[in-house]
Amino acid sequence: MHFKPCLIKLAMLSTLFVSVTGIAEEMALYPTGPSQDSSFVRFVNGTDQAITLTSSGAKKMVMPINQAATSFYPIPAKSTLKGSFSSGKAQSDIALSVKPGEFASVIALTSPAGLKQLILREQPDDFNALKASVALYNADANCINATLNVVGRAVNLFDKVPAGNLQRRALNPVKISVQLLCNAQRVSAPLDLGLLQAGQRYSVFVLPAKQTSRIYFTSDNIAQ
Amino acid sequence: MAASALLGLSLLVIGESHMSAKEYLINPLHDELTKQGAIVHSVGACGSNAGDWLKISPAPCGGDRKGNQKAVFKGRDATTTPIQQLIAADKPDLIVMIIGDTMASYGKPFPQTWAWQNVTNLTKVIADSHVACIWVGPAWGNSGGKYVKTDERVKYMSTFLKNNVAPCTYVDSLSFSKPGQWETLDGEHFTPLGYKSWSNQITESIVASPFVTARKK
Repeated sequence: MHFKPCLIKLAMLSTLFVSVTGIAEEMALYPTGPSQDSSFVRFVNGTDQAITLTSSGAKKMVMPINQAATSFYPIPAKSTLKGSFSSGKAQSDIALSVKPGEFASVIALTSPAGLKQLILREQPDDFNALKASVALYNADANCINATLNVVGRAVNLFDKVPAGNLQRRALNPVKISVQLLCNAQRVSAPLDLGLLQAGQRYSVFVLPAKQTSRIYFTSDNIAQ
Repeated sequence: MAASALLGLSLLVIGESHMSAKEYLINPLHDELTKQGAIVHSVGACGSNAGDWLKISPAPCGGDRKGNQKAVFKGRDATTTPIQQLIAADKPDLIVMIIGDTMASYGKPFPQTWAWQNVTNLTKVIADSHVACIWVGPAWGNSGGKYVKTDERVKYMSTFLKNNVAPCTYVDSLSFSKPGQWETLDGEHFTPLGYKSWSNQITESIVASPFVTARKK
């Protein structure tokens, strides 16, 4: 609980614990929510090899490509988070601030100079414990109009998401597989998302690969 | 409503300030549930949001009432008790949560992400304990007052909770009265008449809930 000491002192000084004959007691004043919304950041390895994530406190985490995304870490809004991605001699410094209620994904990508970043941000208002929520993050500049087609059905889960953008949608908790299309061409093998869970949030990343795009699926877990 | 509808059920009722003073829910609701045959433990902590029930959190006031004992009220030494601890001690058949006004951020932008995280963290712990649960949402207050409670925000909060408390069953307190119908002291806390009406309606909703009706079959 986040008390505002000045409000509580004010409440006490004003004798707001008033006992009124014949009616219920009046409550002390207290806040009915936080001063600002929660915010989170996660890191994604969008390169084709393991990279190292280093925090401003010099803590290091190796990020393999088969576990490309971290959980979402809580971060105070409006403060600056610093760190770096590195791979061999290549390094890309991270300096990020987020808005209240924002979920930011910092994606490391290969560049001619070594490493670069793409930051994609969500400010969700679709929380729903009865639905699953899936996002498509298109982080591959070579994947034009990323589309996720539901295998076995003539419907698209996402349609024409431009490179450097994301879309999110709620859907019923069902078992589905998806096929990625870039510029209307099938890319890579179909991906089984499994049985989606109600209330769970997921992300599908379209990431660059040597020959074509690769697809990475993860649950949007919050680090506790 | 049959007077033995909850016979033999152990109920744990937790909540915010509405559960924390003598003539608030902690007495009339506790009494109504007991009349229906339930063994009730009621615990209130002023200002407590959902996440506060996952740890020991300080509160400016609170109340605790077990079975047929009298309620015990605390002032600034009040705290929440972690839900895991309450479940282990009481072994309830059903948990009832009365939390809403403390999370509505009246007078401020609504904190979607914070509310989602707090609500789902609490419901997940309860779901993992395999205890049935009912979440009672906020009731209409009187617009304004020192908490700046508005009809628009309380409706938004109620819809948010309805969408996010599963697997708990949601009880929509807004259906129990019209806006402003129950008189308040400060825009948010009701007079004893309002708390009596709210208690009766909550009890009826619990008796009609899927968990209770399924037991009768």
